[in-house]
Amino acid sequence: MYLVEIVIENKPRARDPEGETIKKDLMYKSGYDCVKEVRTGKLLRVKIEAEDEEDARQRVFKMCNDLRIFNPVAHSCKIEIRGKV
Amino acid sequence: MKVAVVQFPGSNCDYDAVHVLKDIIKVDTELVWHKEFDDSDYDAAVLPGGFSYGDHLRAGVIAAYSPAMRRVREMAEEGKPVLGICNGFQILVESGLLPGALLRNSCLKFVCKWVTMRVESTSSAFTNKYRKGSTIRMPIAHNEGRYFVEEDVLKGLRDKHQILLRYVGENPNGSLDDIAGICNAERNVVGLMPHPERASEKILGGGDGRTMFESMLEWVR
Amino acid sequence: MKAVGMELSLTEEEMEYARKFLKREPNPLEWAMIDAEWSEHCSYKSSKPVLKLLPTRGRRVLLGPGYDSGVIDIGDGYVATAHIESHNHPSAIDPYGGAATGIGGVIRDILCMGTRPIALLDSLRFGSIEESEHSRWLFKYVVRGIADYGNCTGIPTVAGEVEFDESFEKNCLVDVVCLGVGRKKGLVLAKASDPGDIVILVGGSTGRDGIHGVTFASKVLTERSEEDRSAVQIPDPFTKKLIIEATLEAVSTGYVHGLKDLGGGGLTCGISEMADKGERGIEIDLSRIHLREEDMVPTEVMISESQERMVFIVEDGKEREVCKIFDKYEIPYAIIGRVIRDRNVVVTQNRKEIANLPTRFLANAPIIPRRENKLRIKKAKHKFEMPKDLSATLLRLLSSPNIASKEWVFRQYDHEVGVRTVVKPGQGDAAVLKLPNGKFAAIKVDGNSKYCYLDPYQGGASCVSEACRNVVAVGAEPAAMLDHCQFGDPNNGEVFWAFSQTVRGIADACRSFSLPCIGGKVSFYNEDKETGKAIKPSPVIVVLGLIDNINHITTAGLKNEGDAIVIVGSTGLDIGGSEYYRTLGIYDGSPPSIDLDLEKKTMKAVLECIKRGYVSSCHDCSSGGLAVAIAEMCIIGDLGARISLDKVPAERLRVDELLFSESNSRFIISTDKPEKTLKIFKRYGLPSAKIGEVSAGPLEFSSKRTSLSCSLQDMKEAYGEAIKKLVEG
Repeated sequence: MYLVEIVIENKPRARDPEGETIKKDLMYKSGYDCVKEVRTGKLLRVKIEAEDEEDARQRVFKMCNDLRIFNPVAHSCKIEIRGKV
Repeated sequence: MKVAVVQFPGSNCDYDAVHVLKDIIKVDTELVWHKEFDDSDYDAAVLPGGFSYGDHLRAGVIAAYSPAMRRVREMAEEGKPVLGICNGFQILVESGLLPGALLRNSCLKFVCKWVTMRVESTSSAFTNKYRKGSTIRMPIAHNEGRYFVEEDVLKGLRDKHQILLRYVGENPNGSLDDIAGICNAERNVVGLMPHPERASEKILGGGDGRTMFESMLEWVR
Repeated sequence: MKAVGMELSLTEEEMEYARKFLKREPNPLEWAMIDAEWSEHCSYKSSKPVLKLLPTRGRRVLLGPGYDSGVIDIGDGYVATAHIESHNHPSAIDPYGGAATGIGGVIRDILCMGTRPIALLDSLRFGSIEESEHSRWLFKYVVRGIADYGNCTGIPTVAGEVEFDESFEKNCLVDVVCLGVGRKKGLVLAKASDPGDIVILVGGSTGRDGIHGVTFASKVLTERSEEDRSAVQIPDPFTKKLIIEATLEAVSTGYVHGLKDLGGGGLTCGISEMADKGERGIEIDLSRIHLREEDMVPTEVMISESQERMVFIVEDGKEREVCKIFDKYEIPYAIIGRVIRDRNVVVTQNRKEIANLPTRFLANAPIIPRRENKLRIKKAKHKFEMPKDLSATLLRLLSSPNIASKEWVFRQYDHEVGVRTVVKPGQGDAAVLKLPNGKFAAIKVDGNSKYCYLDPYQGGASCVSEACRNVVAVGAEPAAMLDHCQFGDPNNGEVFWAFSQTVRGIADACRSFSLPCIGGKVSFYNEDKETGKAIKPSPVIVVLGLIDNINHITTAGLKNEGDAIVIVGSTGLDIGGSEYYRTLGIYDGSPPSIDLDLEKKTMKAVLECIKRGYVSSCHDCSSGGLAVAIAEMCIIGDLGARISLDKVPAERLRVDELLFSESNSRFIISTDKPEKTLKIFKRYGLPSAKIGEVSAGPLEFSSKRTSLSCSLQDMKEAYGEAIKKLVEG
């Protein structure tokens, strides 16, 4: 079994109003002006049965597309294998 | 007597609260922009519902850092009545003026409907004019209204009768112990998820909310 | 010849027209501006001649179509504004963002008249949610998008409708309506008329969002659309809320001479339309604009559809006062230019002039004459045996997605914020809101693509009638209407014929009811390029009504055991396009006919009964016929009824036809004064009868030959749980 992390964010070129507000209205106003950018996303931590790392990655990739876990029109989806469990 | 309704960027139910206080309860009320909420002497404060800062990151968290909250904390320490409605409750909880947290509704959707509650304690700045044990109706409208708090703090709230309102018949958001509204240990700071300002006129569905504002007048007296 | 690196959607004829008029070749930036402004979405080049048929004058009308919103006088120095918008194509590929930004767009149209948005409505059309996972996905996320955006901006979504039909599978329709109120003297128009006035761009920064958005809307969806990355717009309701408050505060200073929201076609459409209305010109400097991406070229800046931006025309010398307000709310802004005397739209960058087009030319696309080919649909007669168990049929209809309760939808919408909502979703035929002058507004949106497919003329007229009936049923006088006509490719003669017939039907109904059209939209190209399948003709009608007296407000739920149940209107074999036929798999037939005079008289009579205080509850008959109408009244009121079908004024009909026929001009009323009520109907010469009474128990229909009965429990479950079961499993 493999631990896989799926991170879904707005496409890099698309605005992220939530990230902008957190940076501007929370961090900057509280003195953290060293922060230059904030982007928000959703994290899914998935334990999946697979033959090997490549197989795990393929399965997760297929699942994300088939089930519309992210909408390719608006989101980017990063898949990271975090090892065997 | 002068009441302040504190307006944050994104507050929505601010005008509603002002309307009820001014036109129905007939008390001197001012809508105050959060950056300007500082000097004047107000006898009570209402933090209205809405989506301050778009509910970004977590509902109420960014507003909790507004300079206005320093003044609100002072008023709370002075024993003045402070009411947090919906987003206002979320801001009070994020500011540490009330215990607990408000999480996403169990049904994972925004819910707008009228709910029935039981008045568990009339010993507070905003429930003193209700009859203990009576059931009242008010509407809720929120996405993050599930009250949660650790077991030991919950015990404290129960023992000291700080749970003012509980949902009856149906728990619309999965709140722990059916909690709809609570107060602090001094009983002057109250937070609730339902909207009393939307239940202050019969024509809009009922008048049980009026009593909450009338209680505030009683407390100050 | 096409501009370098850009795909234009202008036709050869349009390009020739442009060259001839200007007596030169426009440069690439100018071509892009013309392309954006002359897109169907912005210019209405196909539809203007047909839309001229709609009546636009009325004693309350201050501003008709052609402005951002229609405006009516509601008395006591107050006005109401209303507008309808759609985001069909964006919602088809990004339902959440498309629907949300649709709400953002319609709010802006109300806001830029200087009025406060006080209510939203939604009218949605999808493929079958019983059969299509894709349509369920679209439905769920469109609703969530509308909910998140409307709720965050604090504007209640108070009414709406959802229709399901296979023709919308690839082309969902997402229509949103906004109602606003304000003081008459605070009205601001979208025009730049005083030379020297300052042009300020306010709101979010300008990025590459939605580039080619309007031309995207004016093209048919193809496979590539799913990847059309730049056409997606990111919703930002928090910024919108700040803009609402800042705008209203700025308007109250009196220094704002013109306001326009930037929607389709971005800055190009915004400034050319304002200049054209003011019969002036505007000069702007692109180097002043706050950009999100530094490397944007002028063309991108001029056609970007970044959300949450408005153009303010401010009195020369008063910019500081107005900008102070934007500073308070921390909204970015930039002073980008001036209104000029010459009637040209001039764009400069770093002091160099890079585009210069005559205002009138840019803002008025040449009309394209379209062919009309009549489409004949066979009106087959269907013979089948009446189902044995009519109670089961009624329950099946109640759980049919087109009829079933939409509570799953409206519970996600905050419909109470603003403390104005008197009649809430699920309580009556239309929403009723408090107005600042002590009066009330009733508003409803309606459409029926199945009728319009079978007979566009009758269908168009029926939609107007149904929307009016809904407003009358809550006790309001219809005062104004908006229309949104949604069709397939206008190059297709049959589609264009259906469009022009529908508009004729709408126009005739409006004229008959003395109902002015104060605004509207037309959306073409709602079809799937691969299959060539167009949506069914989908006009969506909004009717706004006014109520003077709080006592006239009426809801639909039965109120008191023992009250009489009265029907006004005759039932005929109007069963083509009905929900009943649909559940039997029959999709043709003759749609309900309409007698506009009769419809008008019936509405007047019902209003008189309401005003005299005779009516306890009122509901119009539409989808599912009188059986569903009465069932709904039982469910809402938590009471039963006993109905004698033999008493219903009708042609010779089989029992199922009587129950489920969708004849126009009918209302069901519960009353404790049946004789007085019937007397009024008699005076108007209308067929009417007492057909039963309100009971505690089940809903029972009986006739000499049959009877059927449904328990309240069964009806509530069928009606109330259907949508939730389908969407959430």
